[in-house]
Amino acid sequence: MKFGIFHELSVGKPWGPVSELDVYNNALDQVELADKLGFDQAWAVEHHFLEEYSHCSAPEVFLAAAAARTEQIRLGHGVMMVLPPFNHPVRCAERAATLDIISKGRLEFGTGRSATWTELGGFRCDPDLTKEMWSEAVAAIPKMWTQETISWEGKFFSMPERSVIPKPYQKPHPPMWVAVSSPETAVQAAERGLGCLGVSIGTPGEYERRVKDYRRIIRGCQPIGEFVNEQVNGVTFLHVAETDAEAQEWGTKLAYNFAYLAAHLIGISTVYPTAAYKTPGLLFGLRAGGRDEKAPGGGGVIREGMGVGSPQTVIKNLRMWEEIGVDRMVFIINTAEVVPQERVLESLRLFAEHVMPALNRTAAPDAGASVVESWPVMP
Amino acid sequence: MPDQGRLTEDLLAHAVPAIAPLYPPPPWKLPGARILKVIFETDSDPVLDWLPPKLTRSSPPYAVITFEQYPRSPVGPFSVAHQFIGCRAGHFVRVFALQSVVDNPRALVALREGWGFPCVAGTVSLRRGRGRATATAGAAGSGVCEVSVTGLEAIEPDLVRFDPLLTLRLSPSLRGDVRHDLVQLAQIDPETEIRKAARGKGTVTYGDRPGGNTWTTMPCRNVVSAVLCEVDSELPFARYVIPY
Repeated sequence: MKFGIFHELSVGKPWGPVSELDVYNNALDQVELADKLGFDQAWAVEHHFLEEYSHCSAPEVFLAAAAARTEQIRLGHGVMMVLPPFNHPVRCAERAATLDIISKGRLEFGTGRSATWTELGGFRCDPDLTKEMWSEAVAAIPKMWTQETISWEGKFFSMPERSVIPKPYQKPHPPMWVAVSSPETAVQAAERGLGCLGVSIGTPGEYERRVKDYRRIIRGCQPIGEFVNEQVNGVTFLHVAETDAEAQEWGTKLAYNFAYLAAHLIGISTVYPTAAYKTPGLLFGLRAGGRDEKAPGGGGVIREGMGVGSPQTVIKNLRMWEEIGVDRMVFIINTAEVVPQERVLESLRLFAEHVMPALNRTAAPDAGASVVESWPVMP
Repeated sequence: MPDQGRLTEDLLAHAVPAIAPLYPPPPWKLPGARILKVIFETDSDPVLDWLPPKLTRSSPPYAVITFEQYPRSPVGPFSVAHQFIGCRAGHFVRVFALQSVVDNPRALVALREGWGFPCVAGTVSLRRGRGRATATAGAAGSGVCEVSVTGLEAIEPDLVRFDPLLTLRLSPSLRGDVRHDLVQLAQIDPETEIRKAARGKGTVTYGDRPGGNTWTTMPCRNVVSAVLCEVDSELPFARYVIPY
């Protein structure tokens, strides 16, 4: 099992002149420490307009800064919005390739389509069409990376023949993932040979069926890239402390505030009835975990399998994920700075010192991409 | 033999006073209803001005208008138009009742006194045509709101959601020997079984009224969705009541 950290870059109100700067600086310090401690990946979301919840609208810039401050940790777009109304697929390919070069081949390329009206409405993007838009874009992007030139005539974008440059440092291209918050998307990831980037904060039990379906279907996939990225990535909260009680105190603040900020966004399924969004997505996963969905105040937030507890508790919880076949776990380690930075860093240190060695870190299959030192010169 | 009166029971007028409250107690069964619902983005300031401190606004702020036609109810047929603010109570999605127009006096009294809906008397209509629907509400002789939906296409009923409703109400109470009304926030969770649903493109228009139209408090900036549903509904007691 491999481990990563996951950044939404949430900035709680009231906002001051340096609120965003503090959050960005803290996050970069976290990535730098995670790199030194041996964490495998650092992911950054792409979200727009999600006030307080995520101020990470240009993750490629954040990740480039992270690349400059780190040596080994892999850097993930978790995820890039590849819908043409958000980002032209050419710009997606260009920016990702550039980040791959800057980081010397450490990019993990996550793709997604947003789950909020807040974002889709902001870009006047039709929720009914996002799945198709995503499907078209993820089919085109690896061709842009691997073909010398490309032309495209699709339903949602078209372009005459051009050379999309630069090409990624990893050959044939970085591992590709899709954000998965529903069983249907897990199937679509598998059919395309994409990594399953679980983004709903569920329990191991809730993930188990999804993982089984993914593993089964990917055996017969038609990969859209040059290789199959058969990996399952789960996401949960992390706060490790010396005792369970101390960890739960801070872990509860972390999870509660994350869910509280998320609740104030507008999930597509809340306001726009469409078969394209039958599940609420990442943002709303915790609400279903409350004691009473309809109670005025909300329910409990610490759920089975979360990385919240003493090192022994967290080891036990992560083994649940290992047993159901999850290859990687990425952790939300703070939200709106409700956990003091020193506690966040200490939690990462405790995790690296006590938890990482106790879990099998060699079992995860490697991605199919490899780094080569040279690429044939174009004629 | 003295002459008997001829007002036999079958001739009793509906105006005979009943020994009963003016409205039956909840829950109200409301079968065969038709509901048109439009959701639209609105301005932040009026949303914050009209939400109680225990509630928070979404991002972006939005409002909901429903036109509800109930052919059968414990007080006879009635139609009601509601304007709500989309909001959050803690972690949960709710709609807060801002104002309503209802066309049946008994329903008006019950909705006000039983559940806390801020109703006024008026006219409410909801008409469905081929692929379209139009709904209007008026009070004091002039129109307050019109919603049109065009291009209606059937969708799976289970995709449509109706969020729990929040209302404000005064509850009679005593402090010592002095009457002291408590302001309460009530949550009502109508049971709604949706039999058919269709989604279309909606528009919202507010009427110009002499003296102003309070419905314009929530301007329509960007329509999110519009649906027309056929439902069997039940309006229960308030599920939760919390102090203001």
